[in-house]
Amino acid sequence: KFRMPTADNLVPIRLDIETEGQRYKDAFTWNPSDPDSEVVVFAKRTVRDLKLPPQFITQIAQSIQTQLTEFRSYEGQDMYTAEKIVPIKLDLRVNHTLIKDHFLWDLNNYESDPEEFARTFCNDMGIEDPEVGPAVAFAIREQLYEIAIQSVASAREIKISKKGRRGAEHAISSKGGGNALDLMKLFRYNSSVVRKRKEWYVYEPIVDILSNEEVDALEAREDRNTR
Amino acid sequence: MEMPQYDPNTKPEFELYTIPSHSSWFRWDDIHETERTALKEFFDGSSISRTPKIYKEYRDFMINKYREEPSRRLTFTQVRKSLVGDVSLLHKVFRFLDEWGLINFGAVSRGDDSDNRDSSLGDTELKNQVKIEEGAPNGVRVVALPNSLKPISVPNSGADGSGNGKVAVAGETGVKLPPLASYSDVFGDLVKLKGFKCGSCGEQCNSGCYEYSKGSFVICEKCFKNGNYGEDKSKDDFRFSDLGGNSLTHGATWTEAETLLLLESVMRHGDNWELVAQNVPTKSKLDCISKLIELPFGEFMMGSAHEMNSCPTGSLNSLKEGQSASSENQNDVKMEDQVHDQMNESKQNGDAATEEPPAKRKRIAPLSDGGSTLIKQVAHISTMVGPHVTAAAAEAAVAALCNESSCPREIFDGDEDYLANGLSSPTMVSDPERALQVDASKMEENQSETQDASSEKNDVPLNLRIRTATATALGAAAANAKLLADQEDREIEHLVAIIIETQMKKLHSKINYFDDLELIMEKEYNEMMQLKECLVEERIDVLERALKTGVSKWRS
Repeated sequence: KFRMPTADNLVPIRLDIETEGQRYKDAFTWNPSDPDSEVVVFAKRTVRDLKLPPQFITQIAQSIQTQLTEFRSYEGQDMYTAEKIVPIKLDLRVNHTLIKDHFLWDLNNYESDPEEFARTFCNDMGIEDPEVGPAVAFAIREQLYEIAIQSVASAREIKISKKGRRGAEHAISSKGGGNALDLMKLFRYNSSVVRKRKEWYVYEPIVDILSNEEVDALEAREDRNTR
Repeated sequence: MEMPQYDPNTKPEFELYTIPSHSSWFRWDDIHETERTALKEFFDGSSISRTPKIYKEYRDFMINKYREEPSRRLTFTQVRKSLVGDVSLLHKVFRFLDEWGLINFGAVSRGDDSDNRDSSLGDTELKNQVKIEEGAPNGVRVVALPNSLKPISVPNSGADGSGNGKVAVAGETGVKLPPLASYSDVFGDLVKLKGFKCGSCGEQCNSGCYEYSKGSFVICEKCFKNGNYGEDKSKDDFRFSDLGGNSLTHGATWTEAETLLLLESVMRHGDNWELVAQNVPTKSKLDCISKLIELPFGEFMMGSAHEMNSCPTGSLNSLKEGQSASSENQNDVKMEDQVHDQMNESKQNGDAATEEPPAKRKRIAPLSDGGSTLIKQVAHISTMVGPHVTAAAAEAAVAALCNESSCPREIFDGDEDYLANGLSSPTMVSDPERALQVDASKMEENQSETQDASSEKNDVPLNLRIRTATATALGAAAANAKLLADQEDREIEHLVAIIIETQMKKLHSKINYFDDLELIMEKEYNEMMQLKECLVEERIDVLERALKTGVSKWRS
């Protein structure tokens, strides 16, 4: 059944609203089992805390609600839960910190916790900006969410296909398995799970602290891209 | 690891890594039960990405990576880039190794220990470390019972996680606090009374006193030095007894072994405190007795032992004397006579009937009246209990006090002797009473010789009498409480037994029910199997017929 493949079934919500010359961007996780009345309460509180004009309230609430509904629409459906270890790539900027990373995540591990990963990450890399952790966790969740949606789609396709078991595997490797690694190849008996040294740099996290000018430049470029 | 040729001049090239003793199960070429239990995912065959071989590779890589540089703290991020696999799972393995000290054991810790990490007491640089303190924190004093003043110290256990012998014992037990606002020292008086008063100068002698060997006279150190020995005594007659170590310390640290020994010896020897003290090697008689009283069931041991010896008259007498002494503080012979009449009556009553203590409900009358003094309360309590109990308690108190002050019991007997002479003593039944009489007679002889000493002697016993009285009454109350408690206990036991029985019956009937269900299920299963067989037979039939009639292709 569909759910986020993490310990807590939380929905990643991204907001990007622009009204009257003011732009509000945010990203956070929401618990879908909270009552929907909380959405409006949250919107009101946010607007009040950030001192935004009141038009934002309805827009924020609407946006959250849409995303929640979308999440819920997947909820009753089946997910394809075969062995799937997917690569997750991080490429994000939070204030002055630039993070690039690449690692593997097991979709079947329902005890996985992006927040814990983010915490370990920040501790190990000595990141002091407290906004980085949640951003990293959010990025992971977003990607997991997308992959989960994809797996629902692939589950549907498998059902439609009549080819039987072997056909299903074929479908996986071509469609839903675009991201998933071939477990057979990786975890073969006579291969090692220790990577070769020359590959280590690929999976190593890179954390850069940017100066103010660089931050401004990047922001300007991002704005141009999104418009 | 390769072993070089053995050459007596060179040491073999092994590198030593420390791991805690509780991780000594670890072996390079094997996977231990601990690992299998903690990291089940690798061993249940649920995925080809999680096998024991893979686990071993992860583990070995992490440990080797750490050991490349043992002083540096290995972070998860450093290892995960080199290993293929789910990062959450890798993190789990990493945390497992970290907790068991197989990695990062000797590493310098980070400044801020996050909630995920254990505080590894590795090295001397523990500046920002979380210290594990043993025992109660500073400023908290652990006592055995409420209102008891004796602190209990936690036995120091050496194991706190670091197996290389480091024990992080930072907390101190038994620290005395400044008294709380609501703290009232009701036993302070009693404690003070236990100190000795010097015979010549009348002050408390706390640290050490000189005891007169021929009698029961004590003087303090100062007087001894100054030469105030009292009348007709010479220096040689005094011997030094150190009170500082004896009276108030009560052997504050009782380890479990000692307590066990004490209990065993009390079981065996009952009243005989000399033997008990012998068996518990490090504690004196006094310590044993006080410890026993403080134990929750200690009174039971003492009370039961004493009730078997019935009450001597002397104890009742001293109790009454104590009451009189408290009110007047004088050794008034007249009062004693009066008191003796009372005693006589009650004794006859006591002898006449073996009293059962009255129903316990009645006992619970208001005892603590805030206005009255302690002594009055004590007297009140002692009157509420039956005379047997009181006498037994007095006996115990006498014994305790005699042991403590090393005074011969004769001094108590000596007083009674004065009074008993003027009375027609009723028939003595028990041995201790006879013994008392014997002692009394002995005392008669001695008294003629030491008349001059007797007056001084009386001063000292007064204090002891007071103490006896109070201790008696308290003991009586305690014994009484013990009886009540015993009764309660028995009731509770009975009720618990009933409960357990009922539960058992319930469980039995449930089991029976399930057995029946099982039977039914089995039968149904059998029926299903039969049906299945029938169906298979039918199908075979159909196929046969179809083939017979020559149908070539059979569509399913």
